[in-house]
Amino acid sequence: MSEHSPQSHGPVVEPHDGSLGYDMSAHGAPSGHDVHATGIAKYIYVFIALCLLTSLSFLTYSSWWRANFTPAESRLLMMAVSCTKALLVILCFMHIWWEANWKFILTIPAMLMSIFLILMLVPDVGWRLHHASEEQKFHMAQPKPDQPNPPAREQPSPAPSS
Amino acid sequence: MATAAHADEHHAQHIKLQYQSGLPIPLGKTIVWLFLSTEIMFFAGLIGTYVVLRFGAPTWPQTHEVHLSEPIGAFNTFVLICSSVTIVLALEAARANKARVAKLFMLCTFLLGSTFLGVKSYEYSAKFAHGLYPWSPHSQIHERANLEYGSAVRARLKTLTTQYGDQSKELFDKLSEDQQKQIGELEKQPWSDEVRAQYVAIAPQLAELKSRIQKCNDLTTELKLEDPNVDLVQVTNKIYPPPDESASGLPWTAEPEGLNGEYPWLKLPFVVPGGNMWASTYFLLTGFHALHVFVGLIVFLILMTMELNAARAGMLENTGLYWHFVDLVWIFLFPLLYLF
Repeated sequence: MSEHSPQSHGPVVEPHDGSLGYDMSAHGAPSGHDVHATGIAKYIYVFIALCLLTSLSFLTYSSWWRANFTPAESRLLMMAVSCTKALLVILCFMHIWWEANWKFILTIPAMLMSIFLILMLVPDVGWRLHHASEEQKFHMAQPKPDQPNPPAREQPSPAPSS
Repeated sequence: MATAAHADEHHAQHIKLQYQSGLPIPLGKTIVWLFLSTEIMFFAGLIGTYVVLRFGAPTWPQTHEVHLSEPIGAFNTFVLICSSVTIVLALEAARANKARVAKLFMLCTFLLGSTFLGVKSYEYSAKFAHGLYPWSPHSQIHERANLEYGSAVRARLKTLTTQYGDQSKELFDKLSEDQQKQIGELEKQPWSDEVRAQYVAIAPQLAELKSRIQKCNDLTTELKLEDPNVDLVQVTNKIYPPPDESASGLPWTAEPEGLNGEYPWLKLPFVVPGGNMWASTYFLLTGFHALHVFVGLIVFLILMTMELNAARAGMLENTGLYWHFVDLVWIFLFPLLYLF
């Protein structure tokens, strides 16, 4: 008969000290609750960083930026800034930085599912426009001929005649 | 054998089996994280759909064409970042057993969240005032300046003429037959005092309705809507002109006005290519996000009725996790909706 180790899954023997036999500090990193009393300075630094990053995103709106950078470069920068901001919020404000390894159990599957979901949308939604019926194409949006700043995107390729 | 069985039974009495959660964190926190995992997928689906639709669309409206203001969006981002800081400070205060400080920070978070919703509702009202709705029949957006659009403008002007004519008749019908007869026979003035008072009461409204009917008739001629060779692009540009990005002054003040801006009662159809898809995605994304903010505000209100001491720190942490997620979603929505 094998003994139940404190870290084994399923039912465990309740120890007499009432601690559920689960050592919180034995999971690769200290529990978040032990680390938080390090002052609020880190939150202020993160807040300043978030404000600066938002300003950086907003800079792409200025006429100087538009004159010197392409829309693709702007979008790349904005997404990089957004990902950095999201990381800062998740790691610091949501305390993931100080949490134990359990965080990967929940976050990684959710992230993977999200990526798969978006990839699955591409054929469903994105390619739909390339196989539009004649009726759909008749009602489809069309840039105005004298639009001052028409988007640089191309029209969808003509659908094969069905 | 009996001794051994008795020993086993005795041993079993001392073993108390207890199931524990799979993760070394409180059950409430586990549930919040599981909920947030589903929320990640929910918003990933919505944002992913927006990205795919946006970049798969043949054209997409410019930001100012649909009355989106980048500075307002940036301000709301700043507000949400501030609220993330205040809620994390509330948690720290609660852990330090400073209940009053924690409550003060919660109040700040609530006010910031309310500010966000207030700004968002102001933005929504600006869209609605310009006929930018995600649904019919309120939406005045057309995708193309084609024959269908031309007939929609004609039909709208005709509907307005009929509607104002009916209203004028209703006003007149409120008068007695004798009064109507007296007003109708203008040469028989002076009228009695009673008739004069009645006429003075309805005259401004009648005059306004008459001028509107006249305006509709003038526009039908001015826009050459009955002409088979009418340039419908010019028509929509007069009704809802595209913003002049090169105009002097602050860029976000370059708002299109046109006939719909000059005469708000007209609500004439206008052409914004890709506008319907934009309206659907914009209102869906921001609407679901605003709904999450609203739910967060309700939770804040409930928390503020409690003593936010160290014993409630777990509850505050779970609420904070949810609120940070709301902030996280907006971090992506702001550039995607306002700056892309």
